[in-house]
Amino acid sequence: MIKTIIAKEVRTNILSFRFLVSFVLLFVIVAVTALVLTGDYLRRLDEYSQRQAELERYLRSYAHFNRIQNILQATQPPIPFQALVRGLTADVNIEAFDNDPLPVMFPLIDLTFIVTILVSLIALILSYDAVCGEKEDGTLKLMLANGLARSKIILAKVAGGTLTLIGPFILSVAAGMLIVILHPRVSWAGPDWAALGLIVAGAVLFITVFYLIGVLISSLHTSSPSSIMTSLFVWVLLVLVVPNLSPYVSAFLSPAPSRIKIAREVSRLTDVDRDELGRKLADERRREVLKQYPVLAERLTEAEVKKRVAEDPEYRKAYEADRAANQGAWNEANRIQGAKADVIRQDLRRKEEAQTGLARSISMASPLADFTYLAAELSSTGVRNTLHVGRLAEAWGRAFGGEYVPKKMAEMKAKDPTVDLWNTAVDMTDAPRFRYTEEGLGGRVEAALPPFAVLLGYCVVLFAAAYVAFIRYDAR
Amino acid sequence: MEEQGNRDLKAGNIKGEKRDRVLCPPMIIARKEILSNLLSYKFFVVLLLIVLLVATSLFIMHRDFGQRMADYQVIRPKPGDPIALVAPNPLAIFARGLDDAMTRSFEVSVIGIEARAGQASGNIIYSFFPAPDFLYVVRVVLSLVALLFGFDQVSREREQGTLKLVLGSSVSRAKVLSGKWIGNFLSLAVPFLLVTLLGSALLMLDRNVHFSSGQLWRLALILALSLLYLGFFLSLGMLVSALTKRAATSVVILLFLWSLFVFIIPNLGTLLARQFVSVPSVRALSEKREQTWTREVLLGIGKGGNWADHMRTISSENDQLEQDYRLKFERLVRLSRDINRISPAASFLDAASEIAGTGIGEESRLKREVIRYKDSIIDQLITDQGSGKRDAQYPAFLYKPRPLAEIFAGGALFDTAWLVFFNILSFAVAYVAFVRYDVR
Repeated sequence: MIKTIIAKEVRTNILSFRFLVSFVLLFVIVAVTALVLTGDYLRRLDEYSQRQAELERYLRSYAHFNRIQNILQATQPPIPFQALVRGLTADVNIEAFDNDPLPVMFPLIDLTFIVTILVSLIALILSYDAVCGEKEDGTLKLMLANGLARSKIILAKVAGGTLTLIGPFILSVAAGMLIVILHPRVSWAGPDWAALGLIVAGAVLFITVFYLIGVLISSLHTSSPSSIMTSLFVWVLLVLVVPNLSPYVSAFLSPAPSRIKIAREVSRLTDVDRDELGRKLADERRREVLKQYPVLAERLTEAEVKKRVAEDPEYRKAYEADRAANQGAWNEANRIQGAKADVIRQDLRRKEEAQTGLARSISMASPLADFTYLAAELSSTGVRNTLHVGRLAEAWGRAFGGEYVPKKMAEMKAKDPTVDLWNTAVDMTDAPRFRYTEEGLGGRVEAALPPFAVLLGYCVVLFAAAYVAFIRYDAR
Repeated sequence: MEEQGNRDLKAGNIKGEKRDRVLCPPMIIARKEILSNLLSYKFFVVLLLIVLLVATSLFIMHRDFGQRMADYQVIRPKPGDPIALVAPNPLAIFARGLDDAMTRSFEVSVIGIEARAGQASGNIIYSFFPAPDFLYVVRVVLSLVALLFGFDQVSREREQGTLKLVLGSSVSRAKVLSGKWIGNFLSLAVPFLLVTLLGSALLMLDRNVHFSSGQLWRLALILALSLLYLGFFLSLGMLVSALTKRAATSVVILLFLWSLFVFIIPNLGTLLARQFVSVPSVRALSEKREQTWTREVLLGIGKGGNWADHMRTISSENDQLEQDYRLKFERLVRLSRDINRISPAASFLDAASEIAGTGIGEESRLKREVIRYKDSIIDQLITDQGSGKRDAQYPAFLYKPRPLAEIFAGGALFDTAWLVFFNILSFAVAYVAFVRYDVR
């Protein structure tokens, strides 16, 4: 019996006008987006190789150790997944003078956007009258009079509806993928396919969530016009409001000090205050040293001191003790002030982490945010990838600073002992470069699990709620 | 609930006819629309949405502005510092736009301009979703609300049978349509204006948020633009409603049109423009800059040449790079604006953010001014550093936002006219469709 209702649901949906419009629109938009984003990816790829070539030229003629860290930096090449999911890779670069304002005003469109905004809207459009529409048509009474359990009806409705949605969605994504991979310069590896499969699985969950929301609201209303009002209201809140408000709300609930204030405070602690403390400590130590070596009390010019140090071993001992005491005092001052600055920095980091965590938790109340995180993590364009790049950069930094620099400097010294090691141009084309490798699929899946679980939880809870609401539904 | 609403509505109509014999027909219909809206579930949902969103957005963006203002006080340059910094714009509470990028501190040194994004937050969730400012609420949410006011104006009345009655009473179709438009527009605009004005008045109680009279005018202009924008979506709703037989069909078409106008065209348009105008990425540009200055510094040390000459080479090469980039970038902005203008949402966003002084045009102008400021002091700076002069004094950077006349000439007038055109067009087509509408 369930099969009959599912088949009926699928058939009525497929034959409906709204399904036709949705399908055509989805198909066209996915295809156009894939086309445009592939072009964009190739453009970035070209630019990246051009930048690499320029870097090679520089390294051959002008590389020198003093400023090499400004030149050799850990930059991530474009990855093929960017033709589908953009995540955090938008090229805003607020640190540079010529930051790009366009993505701020007009956020980029990608598969995540299509799923979260468009497909969720389609899901609601198909489901807002699932129950109350049948009531209005009078078919609900007929169905219930057939001795059919309500649980079976609702299950079949959800299953049928979700199936009709998933079909066109997967078809559109397949068409988009075809456009992407048919391009000879785009190469998709095995893990990418697996990640794409998981993203599609997440999208299926996401679609189910919104279909269930529509069914639930529909079984709480007696007329379909008021049902679509409530559905759109809920949609606006979940999709357009909650995620956008979340970081601001969390900044309100879990405040973190401003980075500017902290930077100023740290620079005061480690600069002005350090000097003050250093002088005070140095004075104290000097007084103690003076007690021990009264010879130092004499006021001498620098030249006289030098002469006396060379001639008088006693004086030399006193002088060295004085120097050591002075150095010790300044080290002490640096240590104390550095520790104070560290406390402030760590406090900032802790508070920022708490704020980010809270913002993430608040936003995860919205299925849109869940899917956005899930897709970004799986496609390695998310937060976890940023951390991963940081780790890779650290390892590369160690290889460069710890192995390459001493080796190269030794070579330079062997050639010419008087060479200025820091400010002499030397061919560094043999230096180890930053190589970006995507994180393994395991880590990406791990990062995508929490949003996955939330979406699944939503499905279960919403289905239970829809079931209860349908049981209590007045079919008259 | 709706049945009851209809009954009240009919009662109201009868009473209204007695009292309002002097009113012209469109006004009677407008009145009827407002009354029926007031009683509907739709109006309740919409009112809730408007109050909730506008109030929350103003509250949150106001708080954010307060924090950025505090940051600004901390990094304000001392007199004589070669630093260009502008204060956060209070209108950014309504139109956030590019204010974050514009309030960075631009520090001029011998090798050029360095932007310090000190205000950046460690909270990465900000970068995932756009800021929920007033413009966002109007552009995205309230446009949807305006559609919901319009989507069933014609088809629903047909379904209920009331359309026959209205048209049977010798009122011209033009009057019916305009009456409907006015009534629904007022039911949307009045609560929206009330909440916004109340929110703005509360904002002004805060002494840190100081609006000059010019800025208040700008705010009024932004509100007027918002009404124009919402009017378009209302007309669009009525248009589609007059083209379809059933309200359910019209809502489906409208939701797709809405997502096309608000999201897809503007966001795809900028990407498309990038395919045609090749602009170097920010990353490529900054890499080139780094290579230039490190090379010149190295050459300056190695050959023992004139240090200042090398600094001037850096400066001129960077200027060349910058000029080239600005030219290309401005072409990209122009093209993507022209593509985006297919959608009134993009026109609205551009015009409103330019009027607020946080738009792309204003940001480009600020950058040009910063570059001019750098040009005016860089020679002095190089000479002073070369001669080892400490604590030299430089003239302060002064920035005055563009006057309204210039903003309008720079595109906002076109955008406004474009919105008016969209309004008239959609209403006119709605009228034609309504005249041809089969009432049966």
